[in-house]
Amino acid sequence: MTTWELFTNGFSVLLDPYTFLMVVFAIVVGTIFGALPGVSATMAVALGLPFTYSMQPIPAIVFLVAVYCSSITGGSITAILFKIPGVPSSAPTTFDGYPMAQRGEAGKALGIALGSSAIGGLVSALAMLTLSPQLTQAALSFSPSDIFAITFMGLSILTCLDSKNILRTLISGLLGLLLACVGQDPMYAVQRLTFGSGELIAGLEMIPVLIGIFAVTEVLKQTAKKREALQSDDTNASVNTKMPTWREWWGIKWLLARCSVIGTIIGILPGAGATIASFLCYSTETKLSKHPEKFGTGIIDGVAASETANNAATGGAMVPLLSLGIPGGNAAAVMMSALVLKGVQLGPLLLVNQPQYLSATFASMVVTNILMVFVAIGIAKVFAQILAVPYSYLGPIIIMLAIIGSYATNMSIADVKIMAIAGVIGLVISACHFNSAALILGLVLGVICEGNFSRAYTISRANLMNMFARPVAGTLMVVSIVLLLWPVVSQLFRKKEA
Amino acid sequence: MFELICNILLWLGLLYAYFFNVLEAPIPDRTARNPYTLKPDVWPKAIIILLLVCIAVNIINIIRKNRNNPDFTFSSMFSIKVRMWLGIALVVAASFVLEPLGYMATCFLVLFLYGLLLGQTHVVRLFIFAVIVTFLLYVVFSVLLSVNLPRGTIPELRNFSLWVEGLVASVKSAIM
Repeated sequence: MTTWELFTNGFSVLLDPYTFLMVVFAIVVGTIFGALPGVSATMAVALGLPFTYSMQPIPAIVFLVAVYCSSITGGSITAILFKIPGVPSSAPTTFDGYPMAQRGEAGKALGIALGSSAIGGLVSALAMLTLSPQLTQAALSFSPSDIFAITFMGLSILTCLDSKNILRTLISGLLGLLLACVGQDPMYAVQRLTFGSGELIAGLEMIPVLIGIFAVTEVLKQTAKKREALQSDDTNASVNTKMPTWREWWGIKWLLARCSVIGTIIGILPGAGATIASFLCYSTETKLSKHPEKFGTGIIDGVAASETANNAATGGAMVPLLSLGIPGGNAAAVMMSALVLKGVQLGPLLLVNQPQYLSATFASMVVTNILMVFVAIGIAKVFAQILAVPYSYLGPIIIMLAIIGSYATNMSIADVKIMAIAGVIGLVISACHFNSAALILGLVLGVICEGNFSRAYTISRANLMNMFARPVAGTLMVVSIVLLLWPVVSQLFRKKEA
Repeated sequence: MFELICNILLWLGLLYAYFFNVLEAPIPDRTARNPYTLKPDVWPKAIIILLLVCIAVNIINIIRKNRNNPDFTFSSMFSIKVRMWLGIALVVAASFVLEPLGYMATCFLVLFLYGLLLGQTHVVRLFIFAVIVTFLLYVVFSVLLSVNLPRGTIPELRNFSLWVEGLVASVKSAIM
């Protein structure tokens, strides 16, 4: 079957009113699930599974793909409005989205988030349909040292996140890397840094830490404000739902292109996924920007980078899943079990024996990413009105959502305690002028960084030169080291000149 | 001063962790004998060493910067607002009482007490708000998303949670 036939077949499937309605329903459900803290994309797909038991294979695939894509997008809504990342991959969205919402530009931030999510999703869907075999081959040729070099490049942003506080940002990033070591080590399952606590053996769960450091810290900071200040916030609260202009979209066209490509590639890499993609793209764009100091203060570039990448990663994750039967992440693994249940033969023979499933997945992704903008804007506008609620009501609701969101991840009280402690740590970080974004970057990239470094070390028989002898790894490491040291060196030069 | 003390405590904590907590179980024999594997303690120890160096430099920087600062005293440490301490206490307490009190009581208390802390003076309105939001969040997470919210270990509160669950279940079955 040619690519064009796959393309037309996929869309003819969606012309069926029942299937189309299923997509719309899945987008609404997925966006709301994604927006709720503690409900990850994996959980959203798992919650969507029972709906598909009585469906035929194609509507089931279409439904689950739509839930998966829209849940990643839904996570940005609460990240922007309340600084609660609905899904971990929306954490970098809070860096610029929340300051924008605070300035009264919630509508613009949400518009950028939803639009760039759609663009990222569409590019990755096209890549999935046209380049699946080639992309999978390329991704599978990546060795652990290459993946380590990619994640190290993401860490190289540390010296750039806050150019006035390089040392403190570096300390924050290293603390994040150390927190990622808590629990069993990735190679031999030896317990480390648990301080005798059984609850820490499995390591630190990402969602409670993110919710604590972002949402709870913010509410605690607001609590310290004078009563009069809070009450004036209550009365003057207004939400601007003005959407971004075409000129603003045109200004970030290359950013969207870059993040779509990087997000798709990261999505294909096994074990990486949407969270790594969004952090890597945010860091890459900070490095490439002409005004890196504005990142984190509330600019559309930051929101677009993170949201384009995490949605592009959803399509990327589908590439190895469909063409090799290897899930790229947790959500893809749940999707895989559902598809196998429906009799889909995932792997190289899918295109030969069941091409209709590949085309249905593609069409579903395209339609979901387009429809999602309209559906999610409607949902986001409803959520945005919540900002007008007085803070004395909104603050306690955010605290309660943080508690339930942390608990719901694993139904664990320990995660709630971790969230509370993370909230206090976030406050200390802020008081000590450390950087919470750098800490989270270290925590997210830490596990994948150490695991791949260990594997690469063993494969290269403990020879560091051999480890980075591969062209991809070697080049990326040199680039990363230059990027890491450049802000420090340039500051030293400037001081000497002065 | 707060920043300096936090940095010193962090430095000491990391030093303690370096010597006593990096490895909490023996390395498997085969791994220990294999010269080509990265031992499980190498990565965290390398990070701790880097952190110890960076934090030491940061401590020196803080002292240097504040050498002539008259406000750099122990008393300035206690300028943190009482309401923030209360907020921290409330969040930490909520995480600890969630298991014994269960979702219903914890949610109601957090919504009500935190509302008061944030300056809400209409107590009756706040009470009604706390009851309604507790119920709404219960419906969203427990009924629609099937999250098993904790019922509590105190018999009276557990029975109350079970009574509400029964009530919601009967309403659900009547609608279906």
